[in-house]
Amino acid sequence: MTGPARMPQPLLSLRQVTKRFGAVEALVGFDLELKAHEVVALVGDNGAGKSTAAKLVAGVLQPDAGFIEIDGEPVTIPSPAAAHGLGVATVFQHLALCDNLSVTANIFLGRELRVRPGGPLDEERMVLTAQSILRDLTAGIPSVRAQVRTLSAGQRQAVAIARTLTSRPRIVVLDEPTAALSVVQTAEVLMLIERLREMGLGVILISHNMTDVRAVADRIVVLRHGRINGEFDAGTASHEEILASITGLSTAAGPSTSFTLPTAGRSS
Amino acid sequence: MAGSQTALREANRVMVVTAVRRHGGLTQVELAGATGLSPATVSSIVRELQGAGVVDVKTTVRSGRRAQLVTLAHRPGLAVGVHIGARHLRIAVADSALEVLAEQTLPLPFEHRVDTSLDRMALLLVDLLDRVGASMSEILGVGIGLPAPVDTATGMVSVPGILRGWDDVPVAQVLAKRLGVPVFVDNDANLGALAESRLGAARPYRDAVYVLASHGTGAGVVLAGHLHRGFAGTAGEIGHVQVDAGGDICYCGSRGCLNTVVGAGPLLASLRASRGALTLRDIVSLAGEGDPGCSQVIADAGATIGAVVSGLAMAVNPQCVVVGGELAETGELLLGPMREAIRRRVLLNHIAPLEVFGAELAGRAEVVGALVLVMESTDVLTVFDGAVLANDG
Repeated sequence: MTGPARMPQPLLSLRQVTKRFGAVEALVGFDLELKAHEVVALVGDNGAGKSTAAKLVAGVLQPDAGFIEIDGEPVTIPSPAAAHGLGVATVFQHLALCDNLSVTANIFLGRELRVRPGGPLDEERMVLTAQSILRDLTAGIPSVRAQVRTLSAGQRQAVAIARTLTSRPRIVVLDEPTAALSVVQTAEVLMLIERLREMGLGVILISHNMTDVRAVADRIVVLRHGRINGEFDAGTASHEEILASITGLSTAAGPSTSFTLPTAGRSS
Repeated sequence: MAGSQTALREANRVMVVTAVRRHGGLTQVELAGATGLSPATVSSIVRELQGAGVVDVKTTVRSGRRAQLVTLAHRPGLAVGVHIGARHLRIAVADSALEVLAEQTLPLPFEHRVDTSLDRMALLLVDLLDRVGASMSEILGVGIGLPAPVDTATGMVSVPGILRGWDDVPVAQVLAKRLGVPVFVDNDANLGALAESRLGAARPYRDAVYVLASHGTGAGVVLAGHLHRGFAGTAGEIGHVQVDAGGDICYCGSRGCLNTVVGAGPLLASLRASRGALTLRDIVSLAGEGDPGCSQVIADAGATIGAVVSGLAMAVNPQCVVVGGELAETGELLLGPMREAIRRRVLLNHIAPLEVFGAELAGRAEVVGALVLVMESTDVLTVFDGAVLANDG
């Protein structure tokens, strides 16, 4: 049998992670598991703790309490470079691309390939590698020599994702990848996310857009005031159930005390 | 060395056309980047191709600068084909010779909403037209395939409950009003049948059955070269034939329909205990990699579908059964047990054996069928043979 063994141990687990900023409880007792070949979406209102969770995994912030495990081993992620070393790549909402540089130069920015250590840049190998990464992603970028300034917003997202793949990560964190994109660009980015999953990566997807999240995620974790308020199987959960959890109409334990949720769309 | 020069130039021409086809439309600068040819070479090849009527060049604006947009030259009149499936929307723009100019897929959520999906479809259409440098006025019509029986007269789903939330929406009318072009709506398996019969595996046959084995299963019937929809568009709805008298209640209200046994939901549920949460695509790719559990699920589905198709085959006596949809991507894993189940039950005749094979337009039959539907419903001279449908493979 050549198929990947399923039900494996999680690639990434966060256990009882807490992060405070003064009186602000950004994240409290947060548990998350991510397996290979899986897209887990974090959704919730502004300030629910989604980005804090992403920054903890990316090494931008450190937890006040709790553990982070990768492949079952406890790890500390003191810096973004450490995250990189552990196979975690993050694409933040602000893509931080250099408009005046080519697609290839952006993909290898700060990690340029050289002919030999300390030697001149190996332009040809970088161009070929960039082309092969973009081809693996089936990204619709006409030329790796084009300046990033000439690309559409969806193509820029593809470049930012491609850049994370040069370090061969196993975990990719995407922060609001479809914000402010047109529908055709959104379609391209959602197809990229499906592709990352097919390539066997674990993807953490942070987004406000419920339609996009439900289209590509396997599981949806709802955060509310820094705590998990619900977890859903995206293949069977309705839009209403997830919205109820985001707004606090229902809690992790079920519908909240004073409201009962009309099962719109499920029964009628 | 003149010969090698000519060959090189020909190779460069092919490279330019391939790049334009892959991206829908590219500026000359982008073409130089995409092909690795010098701007001067690109410019001269484009001029040559334009002279030969292969590409069109229009002036456009990229990042605030004037640029020359190169697109494939298309015959007058464009058709738009759309397949709205359970979890994906696929849209293609083609010219009247059915040459696909641009194509895009959009993942959809579980039980996607009619208003959101139609809105996104309309916006995708506008974006794709922009990509190939065309305008709405060039569109002859939009063909849409839905995963439910459709009354083609009104463009509405004709059986309530099968496609949740879509029951009361006259899809054709809503979109025709919004886009200002004719809109034709049909069942997706019917469109797959149309495409396979005109351009695919069923082309040599007059009577054919197309089976779409996807999130749900359906069939399209072609009799004497014509698509047979039935009075209310429910012909070939094999997903709602009873296969388990004690089974679960289906979306349609009946008990033990084929879809309650081989639909994506029950297939995934049968693997959940041993393999965890999977998607339909995962089952297909795992089965392809030789995973025994997933292969078993596909093979059993093939036998179950085959038993139902044999009933349909008895009724219409087709020369061939063509199988498409995600499950058919596993090839003989699905087709083998299906063929056996069909052949065991269908009367053998000595005129011609019933052939069972995979779709030629695999994965694209429905969207291509939507294009064919537009062209066949529109008063334009069309030539189907020799139509180049290859869109980058």
